[in-house]
Amino acid sequence: MDQLLQHLVNGLVLGGTYALLGIGLTLIFGLMNVVNFAHGEFYTLGAYATFAALTLADLNFFAALGLAIVCGLVVGAVTEFLLVRPLRRESIDTVMLVMIGVWIAMQNSELLVWGGVAKSIPHPFSTTPLTLGGVSLAPLRLFVLVAALGLIVGAHLLIHRTRLGRAMRATFQDADTAALMGVRIRRIYTATFAIGSGLAAAAGALLGPVFIAYPSMGDLASLKAFSVVILGGLGNIAGATVGGLVLGVAEELGAGYVSSGYRDAVGFVIIIAVLLLRPSGLFARAERVG
Amino acid sequence: MRKRWFLSILTVGVIAAFVGSVVIGLDVARAQAPVRIGVIEPLSGPVAASGNYIRMGAEIARDWLNAKGGVLGRKVELVIEDNKSDPKEAASAAEKLIVRDKVPAIMGAWGSSMTLAAMPKLEEYGVPMVVETSSAASITKRGNPWIFRISPPSEMEAVGLEPYVDKLAIKKADFLAVNTDWGRGSIQAFGDLLKKKGLPVGAAEFMEQSATDMNAQITKIKTTGGDTLFLTTAVEQITLVLKQAQEQRLSRKIVTTGGSSSPTQLIKQAGAAAEGTYHIVFFMPWFPESMPDGKLATAFVDEWAKRGNPFEGLTEGFRGHDGIVTIAEAVKVAGKDDPKAVRDALWRVNLTGVNGPIHFEKDGPAGKESGQSKPSIFIVQIRDGKVALPEFARK
Amino acid sequence: MRRAAGILLALAALTLPLWIANAYFLHVVIMAGIFGVLASSLNLLLGYTGQLSLGHAAFFGIGAYASALLTLRWEWSFWLALPAAVLAAGIAGWAIGRLALKLRGAYFVLVTISFAGVIALVSINWMDLTNGPLGLPGVPAPELGPWSLRTKSAYYYLVLAAVALAYEVCRRLVHSRIGRAFVALRENESLAESVGVDGTRYLVLAAVVSAGLAGLAGSLYAHYTRFVSPEVFLFTYTVTMVIMVVAGGKGTLAGPLVGAVLFTILPEALRAATSWQWQMLAYGVILVVLVFFLPRGIVPTFFR
Repeated sequence: MDQLLQHLVNGLVLGGTYALLGIGLTLIFGLMNVVNFAHGEFYTLGAYATFAALTLADLNFFAALGLAIVCGLVVGAVTEFLLVRPLRRESIDTVMLVMIGVWIAMQNSELLVWGGVAKSIPHPFSTTPLTLGGVSLAPLRLFVLVAALGLIVGAHLLIHRTRLGRAMRATFQDADTAALMGVRIRRIYTATFAIGSGLAAAAGALLGPVFIAYPSMGDLASLKAFSVVILGGLGNIAGATVGGLVLGVAEELGAGYVSSGYRDAVGFVIIIAVLLLRPSGLFARAERVG
Repeated sequence: MRKRWFLSILTVGVIAAFVGSVVIGLDVARAQAPVRIGVIEPLSGPVAASGNYIRMGAEIARDWLNAKGGVLGRKVELVIEDNKSDPKEAASAAEKLIVRDKVPAIMGAWGSSMTLAAMPKLEEYGVPMVVETSSAASITKRGNPWIFRISPPSEMEAVGLEPYVDKLAIKKADFLAVNTDWGRGSIQAFGDLLKKKGLPVGAAEFMEQSATDMNAQITKIKTTGGDTLFLTTAVEQITLVLKQAQEQRLSRKIVTTGGSSSPTQLIKQAGAAAEGTYHIVFFMPWFPESMPDGKLATAFVDEWAKRGNPFEGLTEGFRGHDGIVTIAEAVKVAGKDDPKAVRDALWRVNLTGVNGPIHFEKDGPAGKESGQSKPSIFIVQIRDGKVALPEFARK
Repeated sequence: MRRAAGILLALAALTLPLWIANAYFLHVVIMAGIFGVLASSLNLLLGYTGQLSLGHAAFFGIGAYASALLTLRWEWSFWLALPAAVLAAGIAGWAIGRLALKLRGAYFVLVTISFAGVIALVSINWMDLTNGPLGLPGVPAPELGPWSLRTKSAYYYLVLAAVALAYEVCRRLVHSRIGRAFVALRENESLAESVGVDGTRYLVLAAVVSAGLAGLAGSLYAHYTRFVSPEVFLFTYTVTMVIMVVAGGKGTLAGPLVGAVLFTILPEALRAATSWQWQMLAYGVILVVLVFFLPRGIVPTFFR
């Protein structure tokens, strides 16, 4: 029983970051219809930006995290502006191919700049784990969980309580009508891509210190993000949140009780099963966004 | 209109690059050519760090050889290819090195699957390869007479550990290994060792090569009642396992195998979580004087530092050095850089590398033996944040 | 004009080993051919029915493993193992088709990814069958009577025949009623269904043929490289296929072949032209630039 709680806690921590990745991608994939294979690279960018801020600029840990998120926002906006916007009218596959190119280019530039050696990202938390009734949790992981939840709530608030959020929702329900109502569509797209990438960077900045940073860390992240998005329903932020947590916990339980070799298979099997039973995802609704 | 233009330029450009590089290659081949040695390593992808360390070691060997006049009076040149951690690329790289660059020998290809994928090409064209890292037993047992390995297969490693098993006071052991041929081979070999000594094995868990969260496996291991954990994987995953084991308060002896543990990096990145852990290594850069050729080892460590290469890479980088000097020695003994002559000469080489004496013995089916050297194997421990010889290993 | 070009091309292809003697070049051409079959198979799904399958490497891998295991373990002849591999992959394709019955678009994509992921993990963990990460070395080369098809020239003709076969199968399918149904489904599924086109039945058919062709490519790959390991299921293979189809021109018959040739030669040319640090970065940049200037793909831009 002890183990079960431990597995659950481990799973929730991971799940929180999966949720961040998922929300970011559901905005980009679900709302903009961009198959963003480079999403994982923004995750990696977040981790390396944190590393750079801490070791090169000697910033405070929390400032470094903030900087990493800003980095994600900026690079995301630039990418959208330069590469996605001009291809707005092309087919979804064309844009997907460009994002594949971005993925390859980003990952290999990171390899060039930082080398292949994994970087350990320093953090100010103590390494002695907190114990609560048989469950051990490192302070850093607790922080990650809290921060992730905070960002998730922040994303929800952004979409539902701000003018920008309303404009985004309008654009994605019906871009033409929104344009007629005065919404600057192109800016909304840029903002969406930027926010989505910023969230991915946040996930990377948070998980970087927990694990390590290395150039190909984003590959698995991309794949998991897509799973979370579909699980939760395209464009559904609450769905992505729950989907992320579910995936994290399911993976942990699967690895703990079924087989560690087939750990990732658990996630895949769940996805296949869910899609067979509920083809539009766990929380599909007629509307998108929200 | 601009599109057609662009397409034509691109097509012409690509074809020109291809053809041009071949022409240039031919040109070089005609001049007083350097002795070219092919190198195939994973220079990108998840194990890029290791591949690059080996490249750095190989470059030191090349520069030292050239400083002493080269081989057969000719300069040594390394032709370095990236196998991108993909067996298909390893085979393509081997083909390119053999056909286009006409190398008389190759060193590679790090991972066992990469090496296995390149092996048919060696037989097809008759070119020898010195295997510097791969540990799968099958590499030298497949009856490929063009393979010469200087790294130890897992079985040899286990034999190297045998004298210390009692001193380590192992009563019951668990295994946690990366889910590759290397990890599995290691579990097999060390499992057999324990069985021979009549010691029970608890759990044998695996982790995917790219996995970062091993908490589930650690939780399971916690329940077996064992006192020792054998850990086989690359240094990044070892770091993660040690940190997560500490978080879960897993208290037992940890022994890493495979030689890729880079204890210095562990101390830096895992900190207190690495305290007390044991590591099987094939090079001890912390006290190079204790290596079989102390002077050479010390010089290697100094040159490595002089080039600004990271210290933690030494535990793998030496392989690159030893592989290149082995090939160079074979070319010298053969008297020419012809692949078949070099292969025959490899059976006759007798030299000392950074790891120790290198000399090939027959391994595998009769008539088609591969060469296997018997490398030196060491065990070190992390104590007080530093690498030291364990009490029982001190002479 | 077109006919003349076609005949010229065919002549060039048939006599290729005579004027390309360099073994390395032949190697590149053979790999291009294998990927040509693979890209064509993906094109059936992606280009004609409009469904993106990102798990295509699974069919490639199943074909490779089936062929390797049959010839290694049970000593079947290559000529029996090849169709068996096609069949095995085709069955997997049928399974995907039926599994993803009601799914379209992004959901179909995800199921294909998950399916490929599961198969990949099975190949790594089911040691007894697949030998896990150690892979299957020593896959025998095909033999035609007393001759072994081990030499590059011989294998080249085998691959050429396979490419021609794949092209012909796709061409017949696409130009038939079935093909028109595919396109109708791609353009507007509800409309197509309203005139009696059974979307699911045709999708399953497309999946089966597509998977079978991928399995063919897998078998050819296994007997050429003579080593099969779980790396055949790597996502990079799927990504490469997608690049070839979309950059070459999806929805055309020649597009995937052009894409396969270009994107097999490109990495090798980069290997020759640049040092290892810049290869993949250059590849990514070239890809982005190419897609930017030719968003519809090479063949449609050039030939339409």
